Amino acid sequence: MVKEEVQGATEEEQQAQSKKGLKKQQKEAEKAAKKAEKQAKLAADQHTTEEDDFAKDRYGVSAMVQSQQKLDRPLVRVHDLTVAKADQLLWVRARVHTSRAKGKQCFLVLRQQQFNVQALVAVGDRASKQMVKFAANITKESIVDVEAVVRRVEQKIESCSQQDVELHIERIFVISQAEPRLPLQLDDAVRPDGEGEEEGRATVNQDTRLDNRVIDLRTTTSQAIFRLQSGVCQLFRDTLTNKGFVEIQTPKIISAASEGGANVFTVSYFKTSAYLAQSPQLYKQMCICADFDKVFCVGPVFRAEDSNTHRHLTEFVGLDIEMAFNYHYHEVIESITDTMVQIFKGLRDNFQTEIQTVNKQFPSEPFKFLEPTLRLEFTEGVAMLREAGVEMGDEEDLSTPNEKLLGRLVKEKYDTDFYVLDKYPLAVRPFYTMPDPTDRKYSNSYDMFMRGEEILSGAQRIHDAQLLTERATHHQIDLEKIKAYIDSFRFGAPPHGGGGIGLERVCMLYLGLHNVRQTSMFPRDPKRLTP
Amino acid sequence: MAIRELSSLEKYLGLKKPNKYTTQGDRKVPVLQNNNGPPLVGLVTVACHLVKESKRAELLGSSAESRAVVQQWLEYRVTKLDGGSKEDVRTILKELNTYLEDKVYLAGNQFTLADIILYYGTHSLIVDLSVQEREQFLNVTRWFDHIQHMPGVRHHLPPVAVLRNRIYTGRHH
Repeated sequence: MVKEEVQGATEEEQQAQSKKGLKKQQKEAEKAAKKAEKQAKLAADQHTTEEDDFAKDRYGVSAMVQSQQKLDRPLVRVHDLTVAKADQLLWVRARVHTSRAKGKQCFLVLRQQQFNVQALVAVGDRASKQMVKFAANITKESIVDVEAVVRRVEQKIESCSQQDVELHIERIFVISQAEPRLPLQLDDAVRPDGEGEEEGRATVNQDTRLDNRVIDLRTTTSQAIFRLQSGVCQLFRDTLTNKGFVEIQTPKIISAASEGGANVFTVSYFKTSAYLAQSPQLYKQMCICADFDKVFCVGPVFRAEDSNTHRHLTEFVGLDIEMAFNYHYHEVIESITDTMVQIFKGLRDNFQTEIQTVNKQFPSEPFKFLEPTLRLEFTEGVAMLREAGVEMGDEEDLSTPNEKLLGRLVKEKYDTDFYVLDKYPLAVRPFYTMPDPTDRKYSNSYDMFMRGEEILSGAQRIHDAQLLTERATHHQIDLEKIKAYIDSFRFGAPPHGGGGIGLERVCMLYLGLHNVRQTSMFPRDPKRLTP
Repeated sequence: MAIRELSSLEKYLGLKKPNKYTTQGDRKVPVLQNNNGPPLVGLVTVACHLVKESKRAELLGSSAESRAVVQQWLEYRVTKLDGGSKEDVRTILKELNTYLEDKVYLAGNQFTLADIILYYGTHSLIVDLSVQEREQFLNVTRWFDHIQHMPGVRHHLPPVAVLRNRIYTGRHH
C-alpha cells in the first residue's frame, strides 16, 4: 500500500517535470525570438544612424591622445563657469559625474575636481537624436571634451557648485572612457553617516574606500582634505622660513634606532641590516651642532608599532623642528606654538571652502585656539584629572582616555582646542631629554595637543656629552651604537630643543575627523600595504 | 555589602545601639534577629523597621501616594538593581535618568529612604562610569551627587567626583 502510493507520487512528479520542461523550452524559444528581434532592430537602428545623422561629426569617441597635434583650443575650468561667461561658446574638459536622459534631452553633471556644472544635450539644429543617445550612454567617470554655450539659468541649480549657469552642449567627445561598473559610487562615498538610511541608501565603508583609493580621492571631501593638507605643509614651510629656519633633508635609512629599538623596521642593507628612521631626531640635532641654528624637515617617518587604532600609521609625514635657544627652552615652545597658530590662522583664512566641504560630510565644531597658546604644567594637568575623579600616579604617563578627558577639561575651562602640556615626568621620556633643574623627577619636555589628542612630542635635548652618556646608560642603551651621536656634542654644542608633528594627525584633528587614514592619501598600517 | 549599608543607615538614623546582623543563603540576604519577635529578613524589610524604630516615619513617605512610590523604588532596588546583569546597567541608568529629569528626590520633593537605599545600590555602577558617561546620565549624576552630600548618608562609601560643568557639549565626539 505504502509502496504504491510512493510510486504514484513519483509518476505524478515525472509528469509534472515533463510539463515544466516543456514550458521551459517554450520560454527559451520565446526569449531567443525576442533576442533576434532586438538585434535586428539594433542593426536597423545603427543603419539609420549611419544614414541620416546630420550631427555625426559633433560627437564620438576621440582617438587616443598621443600628442599628435597641438590644438589652439583653450579649455575653460569648470570653476570659472559663471554668469560672467554667459552666452559664450567655449570648450571644457571634465568628467561625467552623472547622466540622465529624458526624452529628447540628456542632462549631464560635469565634474572637475570639487566643482561641477549642469550640462544639457537637446535634440535641435545642433544635436541629433543619435547624439543625445550617445551622450546618455557615456559611462560615469569618463572624461569628455565638450563645446558648449554658457547659459544663465532662471532657478539656481542646488545640486551643483556652479549654480547660476548651465552648459548647452554643441559637441561632445569622449577622451577617456571609464568601465561601466565602478567599484564604488561617488555619491555614496560623500554621504554623511546616518543620512539616507531611511531610503536604504548605501554608504561606503573605509576599507572599500581605501581599496579603491583613486576613485575615493575624487570625492569632494577627499579633494578638500588633501588641498588643506597641502596648505598645512605650505604654511609650515612659509612660517618657519620667515623665522629664519633652514629646511634640511635627512636620511631615512639609518644604522641605529633613535628611540629604543622595539618599534623600528629592519631592512636588509647589503651584507648587514639597517633601520627605517622613526624620526629625523639625531640628524636634526647634528645639524644644530653644525651651526645651522634653526632647522626643519618634512619627510616620511616610520613606526613599526603593531597598533591598529584610529590614529596610528606605520608610515606618516613628519614635520620636524629643531632649534638652538639662548637661555630657556620655552623659547622653543613659543616658536613652535607660534608656528602652529600661524598654520591654524592660515587654514581659517584661506581654506574656508575646503573646511566647509569636509564639514558637510563630517560635521565638527570650528577649531579654537588662544594667542598666546595655553601652557599647562604636567602636574596641573594631573590635578585637573584628579579633580574629575581620575586616579593616577605622579610619574605615570597619560593614557589615551585620560589625554582625551584632559582635552575636554581644558576646552571647558579655557575654551581652546590647542594647548601645551609641559614638564613631563623624566621617566616616561627618551634618554636624550634634559632633566628639570629643580626636580629630577620631571623634565624639560612637552607635548602639544589638538582636540585632546597628541600631535607633537618635544623637549630640550641634552647637549652635554657626559650627561648624555649617563642618561643613555641609565636607559640601558648600547653606547657603541650611538657613539657617533654622542660624539657630535663633544666639540661645542649649543643648548637646543625641538619637536616633531604628524602631518596626518594635524589635518585629522583640525578638521575633527575620526580616523587618520582619512587624511593619509595612501595609508600604511600593519594590515595595509596597497594601494 | 547589605550589612554595611544597614549599619550606615543606622548611623544616619541616629540609632544609639548598633544591631547585629547575619546573612542567609547564597545571595547573602541580611537577617536581623529582633529581641521581641521573629527574625526580620531582607534589606528593605530591615531598613523599614530601622526607620520606624528611629521614629522617622516621614522617610517612608508622608502621603499615601509617596508611601507607595517609596515602596516601589525599594522594590526596584532589590529586584532590578541587585538582580540585574551587567548588560542591564545602561538600561537601568537610562530609565533612572529619564525618571529623575524633573525630580530632586525619587519621591519628588521629599527626601526618603528610597533615595538612601538607591544611592547605596547605584554607587558601584556610578564609580565605574567614565566622565563622559556621567555626563550622559546627567540627571542620575546630579541626584547621586546631591544624595552623597546629604549630611550623614555616605558613611562607608567613597565619594565620587562629579564635575559641575558639562564638558561634552559638542554636536558629536
